[in-house]
Formats: sequence, structure tokens, C-alpha cells
Amino acid sequence: MKRQIPLALCFLFGVVMIFTQFSPHPVSKSIYERVISGALIIGPFALVLATITLIQTHINRIQRRTEHWGYSFVVFAGLITMVAIGVPFGPENPVFVWLYTNVQVPMDATMFSLLAFFIASAAYRAFRARSTEATLLLVTALIVMLGNVPVGDLIWNTILSWTGFENQASAARGWILDNPNLSARRGIILGVSLGVISQSIRIILGIERSYLGGGD
Amino acid sequence: MLTRIVNMDRRYVFILVALAVIIPMLFSVSLPVSISQPTQNLYDYIENLPAGSTIMLAFDYGPSSLAELNPMARAILIQCFRNDIKVIALTLYADGTTLASTLIKEVAEEAQAVDGEDYVFLGFRPGATQVILGMGTEIAGVFETDLSGKPLSEIPIMKNIVNYDQIDLLVDLASSATPDAWIIYANVQYGLKIGAGVTGVMISQMFPYLQTGQLVGLMSGILGAAEYENLVDVPDKGMQWINVESFVHLLIVLLVVIGNIAYLIQREREES
Repeated sequence: MKRQIPLALCFLFGVVMIFTQFSPHPVSKSIYERVISGALIIGPFALVLATITLIQTHINRIQRRTEHWGYSFVVFAGLITMVAIGVPFGPENPVFVWLYTNVQVPMDATMFSLLAFFIASAAYRAFRARSTEATLLLVTALIVMLGNVPVGDLIWNTILSWTGFENQASAARGWILDNPNLSARRGIILGVSLGVISQSIRIILGIERSYLGGGD
Repeated sequence: MLTRIVNMDRRYVFILVALAVIIPMLFSVSLPVSISQPTQNLYDYIENLPAGSTIMLAFDYGPSSLAELNPMARAILIQCFRNDIKVIALTLYADGTTLASTLIKEVAEEAQAVDGEDYVFLGFRPGATQVILGMGTEIAGVFETDLSGKPLSEIPIMKNIVNYDQIDLLVDLASSATPDAWIIYANVQYGLKIGAGVTGVMISQMFPYLQTGQLVGLMSGILGAAEYENLVDVPDKGMQWINVESFVHLLIVLLVVIGNIAYLIQREREES
């Protein structure tokens, strides 16, 4: 029963929701709207669940004295401070805004900015003309990198102005994005979509049951 | 010597990148920016909306992508307030709430736009897909109040707005896959027109949607932000940072070229 009821519910909602997409009847529309407003309640639950999991994970780390367990106290300090200010006083409270602007924003931005250094170092090592494919990748990357910033067109217009064409660095980057990139992306989108459809059918029909957790 | 160049210590690369960022910032270099077609299309679409139209602005990003997306948001808000286009802002990112609220207030103050009349910020609701689908039926069913807790029924700008039928365009400023969700659930399902501004790493994912017309226009990374600032004629952070990025890209290109020359010479010597 523990498995049959969720499987039956999944089948019922799956089939009904597919049906609502093809029927303009008011009953079908009303069912669709009711299910959507019900689904809206699931979002906050997921948020609560995520917070509980975060707390449990860090309590475990502290109890087991795992590597860098001391940082778990920093997680709790941040969590408690933001909740203690944000929940009673709201997200527009000046202290909350100050903490967000002067603590979270610089930290997040710093973490993301570090990528520039690692990408530069990785690009230097990875883009080597070791084979025809690697050379193709290297040349494409250089064109896109130069075409993606104004200096690319500036170089073209200064050095290659005699060709009679202007802004060809950004034009070449545009061609790469519009043609080879677009074709590959469309292939991926179609493949993923077909995969999602087949997986959905498997879930609705109860063939795929891994979402229920545990073994068979 | 060649081996040293080929296997250059990454700390030298880090130092060079740091210099390529700091030096152009100190000397405020200004490079000419040409406008790409996707950015021009988005600008034209908003520019051609009649006064009194309503657009939705989704701040679907957090502080990590602020550098690329905040300049886009600022430029779009300036254009909307200038053309008397009403803005309904929201976010599908919990992290985006304070960021968006601060920016909107800042631009509104400069443009003398009035909260509740020229713009409203609805805040954040969890569950991106459900939120997008829910607003297709009734916006007030998802966001009962704005961020400050004022019921939507009491906000003048929301008086005649029920769902997407009354929205002329949604612009999604995104650092993750939210434009796909807006296109799949709001454009395909409800026919809402969508434009986007995305981080540099996401540009390639958006081109199929541009070709099909599911995106009316697109701002691509910091270059897109600079182009849009150019179009609204309010040069700001986008213009400043694209110049810095130019030097970093140029440095990486030079390093890759030097590294490859050294590598090819070394390989040639080893073979002979």
C-alpha cells in the first residue's frame, strides 16, 4: 500500500494534467487551476526541507568533528542572524539590507570573480593545438573571446581595415553562435525533450519508480 | 625556456589577470561598442511599446552575477520610466529580493518614479515553475501582496492587471536556466512575449530561442549591458566593465597564442 497509493496518485495526476492541456472545457480548466495553486504550496515546503537538511548536516559535522567542522558554527551564525532579523522585521529592514549588501554580496561576488583567474589559467593549459579537433576548438574559442569584447572589432578595424569590411570580429562570433552553436544546441534540446517525454511516460505508468526511494 | 613557457606557473597567470583588471580601471579606458542585433531588437521592442504599457522584470539572479546583470536591469528600468512604461518586478531567487529592491528604489528615485504607480516589486515566491504557471491564471493568486506587504488590490498599477494577458513583455534577467522555464511555461502556454538578459556563460543556450522568435531580444553578458547602456544613452558600469573585460580577454588570447607557439616549437624540436 505504501507504494501503490503514490503510484496511483502519480498516474491519476499525470493523465489528468496531460488531458487538461488538450481540453478547453471549463471543468478541465478549473482542474488545471486548482492543481497549479496546490502545487504552489509545495515550493515553501521544499524550502523548509532544505533548511532542515542543512541544519542536520552541520549538526552531524560538529558532532563527528569532521574536517573543518568549526566552519559549521559560521553557517549557524549566519543562518540565525539573518532569520532573527529577516523574519520579524522583513527583508526591507535596514540591518538586514546592510548585512546583505556588505556581507553576502561581497562574498558571493568574490567567489564568482575567482573563476576569472582559474578560467584564464585553465584556458592557457587546455587550448593547445595537439590535434585537428583541438586546433578547431582553439581557433573557435579565440574568435568568440575576441568577438565578445569591443577590442576585437577595434583590432580588426585598425589592422584589417584594408579588407573593406568592418567589425568582423563580432560578426564572426555572431556567425559561430548563430550557426554551429545553434545547430548543436537545437540537437541537444530535442534530445533532452524526447528524453523528458519518455521518462515522464515511464513515471506516469509506474515503470520508473526510483523517485519513491528505497529498493523494489 | 620553451618548457618554462609551456608549463608556466599558474600564479604568473593570476598576477597578469589581476593587472589586466586593475590597470584599465585606473586609467578609465573607453572602447567603442557596436550594438548587436539581439540587443537592438529588445531595445526596439520596449521602445515601440505605447506609453502606459506594462512589462514584467524578473530579477532571477543573486549577488554572484550582479556585475553582469545589474547594469542591464538599471538600463531597462531607465528606459521604462522614461517612456512611461509600468514595471512589475519580481524574483524567482530568494537571493535576488534585497538586490532587486535596492536597485529599483535607486533608479526610481533618480527617475522620480512612484512606487505603486510607475512600478511595483512583488518580491520572491519559491517554486519557479509553479510561480510562472500560477501567474498565468492570476498574479494575485501567487503574490497576494507586494514586498512591503501591501495587498495587490490596493496598488494602483495592479488595478487592471489579472494575469499575463495584460502584460506586454517579460524581461528575464537570469544567471541560470530560468529563461527556459519562462519560455516553456509562460510563452508557449500563455503567449507572453519574452526578452532576456543573461550572463556570458549562458549566451549559447539562448540562440535557439532567438531564431524561433520565442525571445524577442537578448542582452548577452556584460557586453549586452554595455550595448543597452549605449542605446539608452546612460553609460554606467556596463560600459566601464566591458572595457576591463576587453583587456582580460586580450590577455588570455595572447597567453594562448604564446603558449601554442612555444608548444609547437618544442614539439618540432622533439620530433627532429
